Amino acid sequence: MASLKRSLDADPLAANISNKIYVRSTKSGKVQKIVREVYLRQDIPCSSKLCQKCLALAPSDAAGRPIPFVLSDAPAGTKVFPQGHYLVPDTNAFLTAMDLFEQESAFYDVIVLQIVLEELRNRSLPLYNRLISLTKSEDKRFYVFFNEFRLETHVPRQEGESVNDRNDRAVRKAVSWYSDHLARVKGKTVPAVVMLSNDRDNVRKAKQEGLNASSLADYVKQLKDGEKLLDMIPETEDRDMIKEKKPGDNLYPEYFSMSKMMTGVKSGLLHQGIFNVSPYNYLEGSIRVPAFPKSLLILGRENINRAVDGDLVVVEVLPKDQWKEPSTQVIEEDAITKNENPDAEDSEDFVSEKERKALQEEVKRTQSKTTEGHPQPTARVVGVIKRNWRQYVGHIDQSSVSQSGQQGRKQDTVFVIPMDKKIPKIRLRTRQVAELLGKRILVTIDAWERSSRHPVGHFVRSLGELETKAAETEALLLEYDVQYRPFPKTVLDCLPKEGHDWKVPASMDDPGWKDRQDLRDLLICSIDPIGCQDIDDALHSRPLPNGNFEVGVHIADVSHFVKPNNAMDMEASIRGTTVYLVDKRIDMLPMLLGTDLCSLKPYVERYAFSVIWEMTPDADVVGSKFTKSVIKSREAFSYEQAQLRVDDESQQDDLTKSIRTLLALSKKLKQKRLDAGALSLSSPEVKVQMESETSDPIDVKTKELLDTMSLVEEFMLLANTSVARRIYEAFPQTAILRRHGAPPKTNFDELANQLKVKRGLDLSVESSRALADSLDRCVDPKEPFFNTLVRIMATRCMMSAEYFCSGTQAYPEFRHYGLASEIYTHFTSPIRRYADLMAHRQLAAAIEYEAVHPSVRSRGRLEAVCKNINVRHRNAQLAGRASIAYYVGQALRGKATEEDGFVMKIFSNGFVVLVPRFGIESLIRLRDLAETEPQATFDAETYTLETSGSREIKVELFQKVRVRVTDQKDETTGKRGVKMELVSTY
Amino acid sequence: MASQQHVLLSPAELAYLHDSLSLTPPLRPDGRSPTQYRPLSAETGILPGTNGSARICFADGTEAIVGVKAEVEKTRRKWDDDTIYDENKEETREEAEGAEGSSDWVELTVEIPGFRDDDSSTVFLAAMLSEALLADGGFVRRLVINRRFHWKVYLDILLISPPLSYPLPLLSLTTHLALLSTRLPRLKSEGDEDPFFDDDWAAAPYLYPRSSNKKVLARPPVTLLVMAVGNNIIFDPAKEELAVADVALAVSVGDVSSSSSSSSSEGEEDVDMTAEEQEGRKLRLLSIRTVDPPSRLTPPGVPNATNSAYGHAQVGEGGKTKQQMPEARAAESEAVEGVWKPPRGGAKALVMAALVQKTLQRGGVADEVFDALEGVDLG
Repeated sequence: MASLKRSLDADPLAANISNKIYVRSTKSGKVQKIVREVYLRQDIPCSSKLCQKCLALAPSDAAGRPIPFVLSDAPAGTKVFPQGHYLVPDTNAFLTAMDLFEQESAFYDVIVLQIVLEELRNRSLPLYNRLISLTKSEDKRFYVFFNEFRLETHVPRQEGESVNDRNDRAVRKAVSWYSDHLARVKGKTVPAVVMLSNDRDNVRKAKQEGLNASSLADYVKQLKDGEKLLDMIPETEDRDMIKEKKPGDNLYPEYFSMSKMMTGVKSGLLHQGIFNVSPYNYLEGSIRVPAFPKSLLILGRENINRAVDGDLVVVEVLPKDQWKEPSTQVIEEDAITKNENPDAEDSEDFVSEKERKALQEEVKRTQSKTTEGHPQPTARVVGVIKRNWRQYVGHIDQSSVSQSGQQGRKQDTVFVIPMDKKIPKIRLRTRQVAELLGKRILVTIDAWERSSRHPVGHFVRSLGELETKAAETEALLLEYDVQYRPFPKTVLDCLPKEGHDWKVPASMDDPGWKDRQDLRDLLICSIDPIGCQDIDDALHSRPLPNGNFEVGVHIADVSHFVKPNNAMDMEASIRGTTVYLVDKRIDMLPMLLGTDLCSLKPYVERYAFSVIWEMTPDADVVGSKFTKSVIKSREAFSYEQAQLRVDDESQQDDLTKSIRTLLALSKKLKQKRLDAGALSLSSPEVKVQMESETSDPIDVKTKELLDTMSLVEEFMLLANTSVARRIYEAFPQTAILRRHGAPPKTNFDELANQLKVKRGLDLSVESSRALADSLDRCVDPKEPFFNTLVRIMATRCMMSAEYFCSGTQAYPEFRHYGLASEIYTHFTSPIRRYADLMAHRQLAAAIEYEAVHPSVRSRGRLEAVCKNINVRHRNAQLAGRASIAYYVGQALRGKATEEDGFVMKIFSNGFVVLVPRFGIESLIRLRDLAETEPQATFDAETYTLETSGSREIKVELFQKVRVRVTDQKDETTGKRGVKMELVSTY
Repeated sequence: MASQQHVLLSPAELAYLHDSLSLTPPLRPDGRSPTQYRPLSAETGILPGTNGSARICFADGTEAIVGVKAEVEKTRRKWDDDTIYDENKEETREEAEGAEGSSDWVELTVEIPGFRDDDSSTVFLAAMLSEALLADGGFVRRLVINRRFHWKVYLDILLISPPLSYPLPLLSLTTHLALLSTRLPRLKSEGDEDPFFDDDWAAAPYLYPRSSNKKVLARPPVTLLVMAVGNNIIFDPAKEELAVADVALAVSVGDVSSSSSSSSSEGEEDVDMTAEEQEGRKLRLLSIRTVDPPSRLTPPGVPNATNSAYGHAQVGEGGKTKQQMPEARAAESEAVEGVWKPPRGGAKALVMAALVQKTLQRGGVADEVFDALEGVDLG
């Protein structure tokens, strides 16, 4: 009987075929054996510019040009390899020290083996993505060599060999092949091929086989500024050794196994969610899980169990006797763990004395309550599904630096305090303490072992001196993950060739004019903030013979310039939105488009996407029309200019009249919206005035509200709603819309209670209409700002609005709660928001201007885009606010003013005051009130804090107080912020 | 059940065959001894995509392939078991082991060329093979992952040649080898958690564990086809032999010695084999089924006494015919030397006893078969 198995002897090509067998577990719980055949080939090039042989069989692109080789013919040398060298790192090298490879001073000409790349993807997706972007960058010269598919470097697994051993062997095999292969190049000095690995055994074996191999640390020491780079290598190996020697020192409970967690989550006994740290108390976290309507509390270091803000964790609910009330106390990490010694931490108790004390006070408070305080369910973290660690900006804690560390180059352990208060201190070992002190630095967390009280990280790079504008701005952008690097060449290549000379073609036969309406004769103008360069929208109105009005909103036709799925579109979809900082704008699209070609500048012809309505004088829409158009804006007004012009009775030209018409209509539109239950919410907004030359902040002003602002806003809302209806009609499954969920009632519980107790006011939250009405009733005749204060607080109880793809929600869920609109989208700012660009494409397809592009139709892609832009949108807002906060601090530098403020949150050892003049809020602690901290009694039922002893005051919620505002550099976060001192209560 | 299509043999040939097989010792057409199996060649692991597979070729050209596929399945809870799964309760391995298997964890399909899959003969073959597997419960117990999950095993049994002889022994042996070569992914999770497996196939353990020197510690049962002619018992009958069988039986035999020891030896694979070898196998009879032999449907020979050609029963002699008819019938039911008569009735108790003894005794047929199977390289 001839065997049915593939006989290796008979087939002459048998050597070219190999296979790979593994077990695949699917999400649905299926377990499959997978057999893949691997066809080995010999035409995979080594991609070294030295090699002539590979050049002959290198693959070529569609045009027949060979793909250029990556690795340099004269790579850099080191002390040990003066002839130059190529690097072949193993998976661990990338896993532990990706930051090294991203350095600009070294690590060029790197061969990334396929096996390493695949293993990295399995181990860490973010690192994999970083490596991929490295391989794409032209100047770093990273080459992916498909060693598994090349006959000479393919390594079949031997019997009894572990997967890791096989992979290590494959790396060594590739190194040896490269060395031999390059040795055949004649005449030139051949670079050494160096394997980089942190696995001692692997390095030893490689050396036995006569290969060049080095551990990361040894290699870095050969480099010129190796000392500095050495900081970026986490010394995991050494630490492992030390740890093994003394077991039983574990401070944190062990995590459950992955399968145990998954089973628990499935059976409903454990819960999975994103871990959030309270901004006021670093020892208190909360987690929102699908099973319960309210968040679960996680209290104390042990229960938080090494979770870091943003991690996806699994928690277990604690027994009822451990349920507690959320803390009424402000606990800041730096205040409590101030004098810790980063070196000798193991000798300390896990929960430090001070921490314990704080906890006892907490318990006392809970127990002293006579009325039924409602203890909230608490939970503890039993495992982490996915870490969401990123790079953190922070600075070295001065107090953690030992004397010796400030001078020598000795490695020293210090604490880094992240800018984000929710992130715990990070332990860092560095040789450059003296240089890094007083600088903003970027660090990453490497690990958080059970035996370590704080996470361990390593230094990535320095951003510059604390409080310099460049460093602080970059820190801000990094913290909010804003893409701020200049646009790559591939993106700029997508711009029109004519550059700034681009014009709307004169000839109407030009393809650009196809299906475009000529609206150049309309009296169109734009109204924007002062100095606005990216003008998205323009308006016009004119009376119709039948007594109605024609009103048009014209939006920059960005989709004409940004075609789906090219590099520029990809970049814009990643950026998601333009980010506005006080002194800087991070554009979503290149300048040429944003501020020139797309921008609806006055006096020039521009492409636009127009929404034109016919409206009755009562502002009822009779008919609407969408069309691509060519317009010529007559004037670009600022809000103030427009307001002056409207108010000036002597101006009777057509343009001014048309603005007056728009204004009248907008007021009616607004009234209709409010009648429907739209909320007018509030957030403290200020504007920082800069000195024009040095752009140093000189003053802070609250934003004024002008009628013309609400004019533009009303018509934009109307345009957005009209477009939303139209694209939903055309694409019921894939329209890109924006919704604002009704907030859960419980969100308002606290505010409603506060209003009731303090002012006897009722807050009804059944519908947005009821809420709007009851907010209107929240007035204090003596204090006009009280209403705004309540609105600010109510806004914080709301959900955030989000983009979504219409197929993912039922129609009733489309509702925009705040605007009281059934359906809504963003259409009016395509220059600065990617969602608007998508809406433009969908609308263009809906009116049959152009064919539906697949990316506009694919639900999966749209969902991914929505998810990304939701995050980007939020980050952009936060970054903007943080920027204002920074500049407010800078503007107040060295000044002290007395201002009125309002108490908006009250704790047992402090209270938060909002100063509307600067739009800032700050915490005033009891210990700030007087030299010696006064005694205080806190009544949580009535939200009052009464102090006695060194200073006697009584502070209530919503109370108006007089505070002295000064600037102060926060020693712990390194931020310059405002400091408030209580002057008096009213 | 008609075990196969008709054999194209004349009554005289059938009578001759029957007579020679009834001799002591019987004379088999292919010269085998009564207990001798046809030579076969076997290999395992021929289908890379399966969990286990095997192929056997008999010398007469019949050939079968068996593939085993396993899937994780949730175990249905018993109606009175209302304990909620509690992940804190530490479940010992033995407790999980003690869980009962269920017969619907095995799905076995037989495919025979030229027959519909719902043909009674195919269904009967499948029923016999799965009956043997399930008979002592030892097989399904191996499929327990934990109290909440088990492996569901799909056995696809394919005859790839035309059914030249009754394929039961071939299919049974091939299934046996396929199961021996079956591996299941290594379990990484503990206790009653949702199962979580090692993605390394090389680490997957065998369904029937092996010792470190690759010796199989336990074996699935085999089903033997046995027939009796007169007082002779003949194993592994060829097609022609089956055509004259008085009775045909499918006998399933399990190797109890190993299955009982297997559960304890699963953890520590190095079992002292010598002791067991000295002791020999403890065979156990799992089931016996009668197979309807094709001989029942063969045309009978006509004895001369009733053959009109020999001028015996002239038709047309008036009223005599009516009286003679019952005589003729009586003659038909009586055995006439050298005239073929399809067998009637079941197996004799005596024959059955001898058969069981011959099968199970030390050095008996089952022993030999197991010995032979041990010789197959399992890869």
